[in-house]
Amino acid sequence: MAINYRLLDILRRGRSEHQNHLIDGLARGTVSRREFMRYGSVLGLSAPLLGSVAGAIGYSASVQPARAAMAGGTIRVAQTVPAAAIDPVKIADGGGITVLSQVGEALVLSGKDLTAIPVLAESWSSNKDATVWTFKLRQGVKFHNGKTMTADDVVATFDRLANPDNGSNALSVFSGLLSKGGTRKVDDYTVEFHLEAANGNFPYAVSTDNYNAVILPADYAGDFEKSMIGTGAFKLEKYTPKVGASFIRNPDYWGGPAKADRVEISFYDDYQPQILALQGGQVDIITQLPVLQGVGLLNDPNFEIISLPSSAHQQVHMRTDKDPFKDKRVRRAIALCLDRPKLVQGLMKGRAAIGNDSPFMAAYPSTDASVPQREKNIAEAKQLMEAAGMAGGFKTTLTTEKYLEIPDYAVLIQNAVKEIGGNIELNIMDQGAYYGDAVYGKSPWLDSDMGITDYGHRGVPNVFLQAPLTSTGTWNSAHFSNPEYDALAKGYIASLDLESQRAAAGKIQTLLLDETPLIFSYFYDYLTATKKGTTGVVSTAMSHLFLREASF
Amino acid sequence: MMTDDNVRAETIRNKKERRNLYRIIGSYTFCIGAAIVLFWVLCAIFGRMLVPFDPFADDMLNSLSPPSTEHWFGTDQLGRDVFSRVIAGARDILTIAPLATLISAVVGTALGLVMGYSGGVVDEVTSRIVDAVLALPTVIVALLALTALGTSIVAVLFVIGFTFAPIIARTVRASVLTERGLDYVSAAKLRRESSLYIMFFEILPNIIPPIVVETTVRLGYAIFTVATLSFIGFGIQPPSPDWGLSISTNYGLIGGGYWWTVVFDSLAIASLVIGVNLMADGIQSVLND
Repeated sequence: MAINYRLLDILRRGRSEHQNHLIDGLARGTVSRREFMRYGSVLGLSAPLLGSVAGAIGYSASVQPARAAMAGGTIRVAQTVPAAAIDPVKIADGGGITVLSQVGEALVLSGKDLTAIPVLAESWSSNKDATVWTFKLRQGVKFHNGKTMTADDVVATFDRLANPDNGSNALSVFSGLLSKGGTRKVDDYTVEFHLEAANGNFPYAVSTDNYNAVILPADYAGDFEKSMIGTGAFKLEKYTPKVGASFIRNPDYWGGPAKADRVEISFYDDYQPQILALQGGQVDIITQLPVLQGVGLLNDPNFEIISLPSSAHQQVHMRTDKDPFKDKRVRRAIALCLDRPKLVQGLMKGRAAIGNDSPFMAAYPSTDASVPQREKNIAEAKQLMEAAGMAGGFKTTLTTEKYLEIPDYAVLIQNAVKEIGGNIELNIMDQGAYYGDAVYGKSPWLDSDMGITDYGHRGVPNVFLQAPLTSTGTWNSAHFSNPEYDALAKGYIASLDLESQRAAAGKIQTLLLDETPLIFSYFYDYLTATKKGTTGVVSTAMSHLFLREASF
Repeated sequence: MMTDDNVRAETIRNKKERRNLYRIIGSYTFCIGAAIVLFWVLCAIFGRMLVPFDPFADDMLNSLSPPSTEHWFGTDQLGRDVFSRVIAGARDILTIAPLATLISAVVGTALGLVMGYSGGVVDEVTSRIVDAVLALPTVIVALLALTALGTSIVAVLFVIGFTFAPIIARTVRASVLTERGLDYVSAAKLRRESSLYIMFFEILPNIIPPIVVETTVRLGYAIFTVATLSFIGFGIQPPSPDWGLSISTNYGLIGGGYWWTVVFDSLAIASLVIGVNLMADGIQSVLND
């Protein structure tokens, strides 16, 4: 691999210390090309520059062949009914996010390779300790009401989201990170975020990952469903709650008008009718397809499946403060009973990546790949049970939600632990009952001895590392409380460069393998199904569906 | 306190009952129904010992394979043998449905006897309450009750038992009304027998036939209701091979062409209900003569 140092020197000029550190990493070989592209995007290196640097070091830039397609027409989409009113500040469900993504945009897109792609922001950079991030905004962006988007709108949007008085759902990301007043206007097209705690992955907090962070006009006063004023490639034509919505092309879109004239969305209660609608030619796209229900479409040549690797997963918690799981050896023994490659192959039909009992899936650049993968080992599991004085086995109830593949996963866990004398009873409830009031003491999700909970995709593991695992976490079903872990997680989140993130990640991975409060067997792909020949559909594993480039 | 009259009535009744029993056994309808039900009862009791595969053992790498010589009914999404599960799946439904029917028969008969024998205000009030309960669809009542009580199998048992009881009570009441005016009841009253004795030892033996018919018909409905409730997700929990539960977990797969995960369980429910109803028809046609 020939490195063109002269070109590299030119490219390095004007870059920040962290950015150059990353470039050095690539040149030395400690950072792979994929990680470089991905992490460089977080640090604010632009895509062309990332390509040039990679080229100078000898990686050839990949060229995506463009497919010719017909313009015009209506794209018909099937999706799950939004669970609540569409309000960007409060929205929390996949169905609502799909609708919102037609009209609204964030500063950053959390792309399919876990890269941060500029959308309403053109570029960004941080100060040395990652406590202040500066975003340059795109110029010439117009809201659907004709007004131009400026820093005032961005500041107002984030102040609204960071304000606890608004019932903002984005607080799950912003509490302890960004508060009202932390977003400051520098000039009309520059905004600074002053953070409460250092955060090396902040661009993801203002990206599509934080699905509430849609930029709205400064004078937004609620009642979004009526007009849906955003900056997106489509404008609202009609919205009928519980039934569907239609959108028309926004001729003033900053990235050029969309190919399709219209988008028509129909809401469905369940997946089965969506599949039938696609098979019957009534819709062109199913936004999200669970692998189990969609198994008939996966191998059907009349349809195409967009398979997005994601960090979505179903975590198994074990109460670390109660018998029979008080002893970490028991928890480890249970984790050792699972045959992960078989789970991925059988349960997820190969549409998943194997997990290693920590939120660090292999695809995250910060994941320490040298941490050994946990594999099924019944002999070791039996030894652990014996050492824990529980050679006779244990009895417990696994409580979980009736959602996607979870009931089947529960049955497989129940069967797997029989080998070490585990006797698990299942209590499978509907989702509403399982989450209950979502606070400790009033929620089977947070109170059960053992359970399985579905977690949606995040571009960075920060949320997964905090809410379900730290001693003050609000989703800590395992009741895991470990000061060493808390310190490590805090350190990981604050670290800005990839090497220190990876070092912290390695320690967290090792600690979680030892303690095993949670089992992560797999991270499943986000599947979108389309009619054959449909091109340009961009979805995210957070249920966004961008159709600007879509056509047949 | 046996009088000669009573002894004679007993003997006549016994003779008639024995004759009816022979006629029922001789009826084709009844025999076919009984054969089907007996088959499933045997499956429920011995099925788990006889099936070719463990109905709970998963085989993930062999999931959703179509019917073959090895797996007669194919495998489900976890690779479990559908044939073994259908056979073993008879147990839950054949435990819950008959027990629930028994509860409803006992409660309904007692209620019907009291209503019919007491008459007057007691009858008026309870009858209106029963009418009100009957006006509501069983499944809706059951769902409401289960949401309030929690969804254990015991809860399902009692909820079905109590929602079916008013139906039986009404049939029993009607029969009691015709019996109440007969001489043997008046005779018992003259002997100053207690009301309870008259209801349960004088009238009840004479209205057994309609109760048997009604109970058998209810059993058919109870099977349906148990299956419906487990389809909606109440009561029976995975990994039970229960038919309703299996249909509920697998019906999403039909669109993909995996019909064998649903069809056999559905046929099992259908055959059991038909079997019970054939038995009921057989009994009814004899007893109504």
